[in-house]
Amino acid sequence: MNLVALLRYDARRVGRWLLLAPVLLTAAVAAGGALVARSPHDGTVPHALLFAVEMAIPLAAGVGVASAVGRDPAVELQLTMPVAYRITVFRRCALTAAASCLVAIAVCGALVVTGWWARWPRTHGVLLGQLTWVAPVCWLAGLGLAAGAALRSPAAAAAVAAAPWLADQVLPDQVQAHHWSRLLYLFATTEGRDADWEPNRLVLLGSSVALVTVAWILLGRPERLLGGEAE
Amino acid sequence: MTATLRYELRMQLRRPAMWAVTAVTLVLLWLLIGPELPMLLREPARIAMIRTIIFCDVPLPIGFAFLIADRLVRDGRTGVAAILDATPTAGWRRLIGKYLGCVTATGLPIVAVYFGIAVAYAARNSAPQALLWTLAMFGAITLPALLFVGALALSVPLAAPPAVFRVLFVGYWIWTSYLVPPRLVPTLSQTVVDPVGGYPIQVFFGYHGGHAGSGGPSDWAGPVPGAVFNVVRPTPNQATAWLSIGILLGLSVLCLSFAQLARERRAQ
Repeated sequence: MNLVALLRYDARRVGRWLLLAPVLLTAAVAAGGALVARSPHDGTVPHALLFAVEMAIPLAAGVGVASAVGRDPAVELQLTMPVAYRITVFRRCALTAAASCLVAIAVCGALVVTGWWARWPRTHGVLLGQLTWVAPVCWLAGLGLAAGAALRSPAAAAAVAAAPWLADQVLPDQVQAHHWSRLLYLFATTEGRDADWEPNRLVLLGSSVALVTVAWILLGRPERLLGGEAE
Repeated sequence: MTATLRYELRMQLRRPAMWAVTAVTLVLLWLLIGPELPMLLREPARIAMIRTIIFCDVPLPIGFAFLIADRLVRDGRTGVAAILDATPTAGWRRLIGKYLGCVTATGLPIVAVYFGIAVAYAARNSAPQALLWTLAMFGAITLPALLFVGALALSVPLAAPPAVFRVLFVGYWIWTSYLVPPRLVPTLSQTVVDPVGGYPIQVFFGYHGGHAGSGGPSDWAGPVPGAVFNVVRPTPNQATAWLSIGILLGLSVLCLSFAQLARERRAQ
């Protein structure tokens, strides 16, 4: 099976609904912005889209990836294949995260082309500014994957992935009150403090590598994968 | 129906994922309520208990919905739906048994959190009325919300997979919660269809105080000048508060009817 056929199969396995989740969330946020916009030029919709890029799209990536482990009805069979099962899981997670990335790139592209990206007071340029979504997408996807590998239950892994996102939503001031938690704050572009933006994005990216490594190690132990909770 | 309820209750209570999700939500709740707890315990009983309910209203129903999302679709995926449909307790009775069983089991940790805090309050302040306030608030605010969320979590995954439901539910719950100001964003917050229960909070328990992160006093129900959806924000009074609860229960029945229809269509 060539790579394209393999990816097409994996996309079907992940499910079109899950791949469409970032589009649905972004559309909902944009529709909300359009409902309260006083005029098409008042910036409400672009503003809402920027929030969607940093908040809604990473949530879709995190909870979506968390569901990747524990959905195979015959893991025993998968474990006998010449290709390691963790590679299959990683490929499906990459597809899920890629759907979020594509939506984020499309939205950011539209904001850059229409000039709204540069008008954002806390703009960090076109290239560096992409860390607005890259860092939270990587971190939440890494957390979802590590939780999925550790707990082998989509419900529990999704809860672990959603918990820090919720904490940042409910308690933005408390999370930003300490230096260490400020570095892990997911919404540093739209709700954070300017001085810590670059260190925050780098810490999120660095820790996402650590989370993915943990998932890689856990998924490499076949005996852990058997007996998980199928959904 | 009782047998289905009992089975679903025991199964959910023995499910490791349930306790993993409970542990995660408790950590989140501790971050939320922990720093406020000493101050909360010094408040009058009614205020302390309503603030506890409001604190818990955002994180706890999310974990609750995550756990219920795969309960009904799982029968189809494991291939036992057709066999179960052939038993004498098929159809509505099994659906209701499953619904009540998993809502009861998954709601138990939430009940334990509320009443745990109420017992701590009552013991510290020698105020047993805190338990009665919690009982009344649980019945008027949390129970209708949990019944609605449970029905939603059982039925929507029949149309969209549980993973997608979980993503969309988090967005929906935040959108309808007090975290989104109606003045700035078109939200269901403070409407009669607000599952967080703004009308009972304000009308039955007379609470106009703030919430986590807000600081100042705020309204929980009723029209907001300049907001979208004011048509579903009638003036808060006894009738509209009961209407709000009735709407949540009605929506629960609607969700379960959809679930039953979807299951019947699949069986054909």
